[in-house]
Amino acid sequence: MGKKLELAIGVLNGAIGDYLARTGNGLATPMELIHAGAPLALTRAAILAAHPRSHAAGRVVVLVHGVMCTESIWDFPEGGDYGAFLERDLGYTPLYVRYNSGLPIAENGAALARLLQTLVEVYPVPLEEILLLGYSMGGLVTRSACHVAAQSGLTWLARVRRAIYVGTPHRGAPLERYGRVLARLLHSIDDPYTQLFGQIGDMRSDGVKDLGDADLRHEDRARRRARIALRDPEHPVPLLPGIRHYLVAGAISAEPWLVALFGDSIVPVASATNGILPLPQDHVHILPGVTHVGLAHHAGAYERMRAWFMEVLP
Amino acid sequence: MSKPTGRWRGLKSLVQDAVVQASHAIEEVQKRTAGRPFAVLTHIPPIAEAARGVQVIHDAAVAGVHGTIRLVTRVVGKTLDVALDVIEPRGENEDDPKP
Repeated sequence: MGKKLELAIGVLNGAIGDYLARTGNGLATPMELIHAGAPLALTRAAILAAHPRSHAAGRVVVLVHGVMCTESIWDFPEGGDYGAFLERDLGYTPLYVRYNSGLPIAENGAALARLLQTLVEVYPVPLEEILLLGYSMGGLVTRSACHVAAQSGLTWLARVRRAIYVGTPHRGAPLERYGRVLARLLHSIDDPYTQLFGQIGDMRSDGVKDLGDADLRHEDRARRRARIALRDPEHPVPLLPGIRHYLVAGAISAEPWLVALFGDSIVPVASATNGILPLPQDHVHILPGVTHVGLAHHAGAYERMRAWFMEVLP
Repeated sequence: MSKPTGRWRGLKSLVQDAVVQASHAIEEVQKRTAGRPFAVLTHIPPIAEAARGVQVIHDAAVAGVHGTIRLVTRVVGKTLDVALDVIEPRGENEDDPKP
């Protein structure tokens, strides 16, 4: 019941979380770390209690879920998740972030940047490495956090040497852009009923709207309001060059025409594999026959991640 | 994560907001929809005055019905707030000052 309730609230936050936060509603989810289904306080004592072995390695993997879900999206049906496997195989301490995915990505990025800065300050041992693992919108939130950290000179960014994006729409999600155009079309028709449906369409959250063009900054959101575009935008915030980036994409089929049309059913392969920074070919992995939701807990994806992370960094 | 009572209050506020906003939106749609035939009728001189009068009565009736819906919703919301205040154990309120 607990997980299902939290998931239902996560879905609600993704749909109208900006409204919930704006009105001070008790259903709005604050950004916090979650351990065993409960909030993990950002204190040395709480982290030590939750991860008694965290002193053994100053390496953490921070897992950031996507829109309209919670950290339960990472759960494999047979048990375990990417974080638990990375701890077992490579000694990373897993830290799961839960947040209000209806807020603007820029807002969640800034909150994540602050959270990671606090984490570095209170972590029981000096943190050597922070590995960022973002699924879907979570990948954009981590990118936004890195951008904030780079702009503000936050010290945690120097500890990020690798980041992985799973099903992240780096170049935006066309479904949201179609929805945007449809809502404007409905508004433009001089009929009270169609305009009512247009208003209902406009109620979708700021976070969902940001997915259309993968807007990482508030200024990107302001720029978007002035235009309607169905094509992929050229993203103004590239992947940070000082970090090794790894991209995992799904494809509903091995048939090229199906892949071109539907991608992983939500995110096109072209969007999930293009971070607007030339990447080595082996840093991009496409999984045929895996849908968007399946990417968050897929054995093939984990095997690839493990291979990447076993590489010794210079 | 919010406390259970905070979430109950949130759910209550959400349902209340939804009813109030839906009521406003539907009222507007009903008035605008009815306004179209009235706009035609008020251009026919022999019945223009009567049509204007009927429209005023119609709009007042629509506003009255929706106003009542919103009023009842707010009263129920306030009642639930009081009930939650009673249920919530003293000292657990986030706004209470700590000793």
